[in-house]
Amino acid sequence: MITLTRRNTLGLGLGAAAAALLTSRTAGAADPIKIGYPANLTGIQASLDGPMLNGAKLAASEINDAGGVLGRPIELVVYDSKSDATTISTVASQLIDSDKVVGIIGFADSDSVLAIGPQVQTAKIPFITPGATSPKLPSQIGDDIFLAAFGDNVQAAVGAEFALNKLKAKTCYLLTDIGAEYTTLLSDYFVSAFEHGGGKILERDTYKTGDKTFTAQIAKLKAMPEKPDFIFSSSLAEEIGLILKQLRQAGITLPVVGGDGYDSPLLIEVGGEAANDTYFTTHAFVGEGASPKVKAFSEAYKKATGKEPENAFAPLGYDTVKLMADAIKRAGEPDPAKIRDALAATSGLEGVTGTITYRPGVSVPDKSVSVIGVKDGKLFLADEAAPSFVAEP
Amino acid sequence: MSGDWRIPLVLLAVCVLAAAVAYGAPHVLSDYFVRIILLIALNSILVLSLSLSNGFTGVFSLGHVGFIGAGAYVSGILSIPVQQKMALLPHLPSFLHWFSLPFLPATVVAGLFTAILAVIVGYPLMRLSGYFVSVATMGFLIIVNVVLINASDFTRGARTFTGVPLETTLPWVFAWLGVTLFVLARLVYSPFGRSMKAVRDDTIAASAVGIGVLRARLIAFVIGAFFSGVGGSLYAHYLGSFSPNTFYFAMMINLIAMLVLGGMESLTGALVGVVCVSILSELLRSVERGFTFAGITVPALFGASQIVLGFVFILIMIFRPKGIMGDRELTFGLAARSARARKRREEQNA
Repeated sequence: MITLTRRNTLGLGLGAAAAALLTSRTAGAADPIKIGYPANLTGIQASLDGPMLNGAKLAASEINDAGGVLGRPIELVVYDSKSDATTISTVASQLIDSDKVVGIIGFADSDSVLAIGPQVQTAKIPFITPGATSPKLPSQIGDDIFLAAFGDNVQAAVGAEFALNKLKAKTCYLLTDIGAEYTTLLSDYFVSAFEHGGGKILERDTYKTGDKTFTAQIAKLKAMPEKPDFIFSSSLAEEIGLILKQLRQAGITLPVVGGDGYDSPLLIEVGGEAANDTYFTTHAFVGEGASPKVKAFSEAYKKATGKEPENAFAPLGYDTVKLMADAIKRAGEPDPAKIRDALAATSGLEGVTGTITYRPGVSVPDKSVSVIGVKDGKLFLADEAAPSFVAEP
Repeated sequence: MSGDWRIPLVLLAVCVLAAAVAYGAPHVLSDYFVRIILLIALNSILVLSLSLSNGFTGVFSLGHVGFIGAGAYVSGILSIPVQQKMALLPHLPSFLHWFSLPFLPATVVAGLFTAILAVIVGYPLMRLSGYFVSVATMGFLIIVNVVLINASDFTRGARTFTGVPLETTLPWVFAWLGVTLFVLARLVYSPFGRSMKAVRDDTIAASAVGIGVLRARLIAFVIGAFFSGVGGSLYAHYLGSFSPNTFYFAMMINLIAMLVLGGMESLTGALVGVVCVSILSELLRSVERGFTFAGITVPALFGASQIVLGFVFILIMIFRPKGIMGDRELTFGLAARSARARKRREEQNA
């Protein structure tokens, strides 16, 4: 048995730390334009941020193959922020202060964006979130924050109108994950759009991110005197598969509608057959029978990563890098303040997930929403729409 | 005068050095390193406050993060600027609406709040021993989490609590760390500290010689809770925005790992644990991005840092089961020297 004395252990640790510090400094290549990319590659957000990063990398390599931006290549500076607020703030200071990035792209959820927000805003670095959909973010943080996706108020309205008009469902059982900003807001926006369209919420119940059994909620649903026409479940990818499975096992075959939190491979992997008759609103349809633009993206994605795009966050990551590159090009030089102004002036930029235009003073783009359904374990495009009524952010 | 003249000198030198680092670092080092130092000092306060109950009194609490979370929210609610309060927390009771406290009072109030909470929770729970107290305090953590999520008028529920002014700077954290260390060192190495350790080592024997077991445990628990409430407030003003899940099991496990690794029964051990774990996980986080060393390119392996960290924990637990420091303090020989000097004086007097 090796015996480590107190002093030896301390010495070993400090020595290793010093050695690692010295080796971790490596020199950079031929002066690329650096774009920060914090990603939650481990932890609860991994199934969304992973594909998003792959899409972003694909866009960066396409841009660089075509000669880069302003004659210089772009480089994504990637860190794993571990779905943790403290790590996110540390990573932000690394990107802003050590790596001197001119813009930052990142995250699929509003909580992470709120965690990085104050630092980005203080440093006046333009920030685009590919996947976070809270329309309140720009007003909560400041004018350096942009969304590449539609707001939750828009997708919730499309979901509500889809249920009312396509499913002919007027009464709803509402299940909300109150463990996250996104699901809580989505639920509120859904209620106002659904009630505005003449629908009625018969009963509501809640659960928390991380819950594994939903028996109490299902029992409440089964005991309702008037059966609802459908279930709106405002959920994240980790839970929705389990919810569907337990619903179907309890003999409830009602259609289930939700938002882009469903849009991960987990829906079908975990849900299996129980996922049938589920509909969710999201950014683009990437499965069989997609539009030519999405198809071209899917092929390039498959070539780069060896697999089909997992969900709409892959093309969102792709579009966001193109959006940032376009703004850098129009800014004329990689200067954060100029890039911000160029970003705000983006108009009619064609992307895989739709066309991006920012109205003056609004950092949330107007985009159309895809409704995806599940039939026989496969995804299909059920509808594509812009809503007629949208709740205030 | 008793004691060694070197001790106050060394303490003074440490204070001067700490003040120099606190005020000088932001001018010399990059923001990233300043943040790492700040996080180490902040986590030190949290781990030290945890060591009082878990290490010195033998009450292995798993509910400590509940106090940190409560402290963060209390100080956050108190210190959000009045104009923003209306927008962020419209349903707050009116007596909380019309004022907002500066950083220091908000932090002290947060500490006092969690201390009172600890009295209420601790009075029944501190009668339990061993595994039972761990499970019961874990129940407390779950209750705090559920309350934070459901008291949405005060906490915005599960939605991110945001808008807390970013006021946690190095001097603040160092000052609070100094206060924490001073109070804990005076307490742990006092006669009362001895009775805490006696309760830990043998509850029955301790009560047989007249030590109030409940009293010793409760005092340790409450003082620990005060400093974790303070730490929670510092955390809130460091992050600016957080949610109930920021203060949950992941944070608990992290703090316990730091404490156990450094040595549960030593104040300097707690510090060593925090420094080692923080530096190691920061280094691994940079290394896992991939690097080129001596012509060999290692590709990015995100997630590898957690695996390596877990492996290091296992190794340390195998070779040093009582943690790096065990129950000894890092005093650079000063304490022993001072004890020897005192003994010599006493012999001369006798």
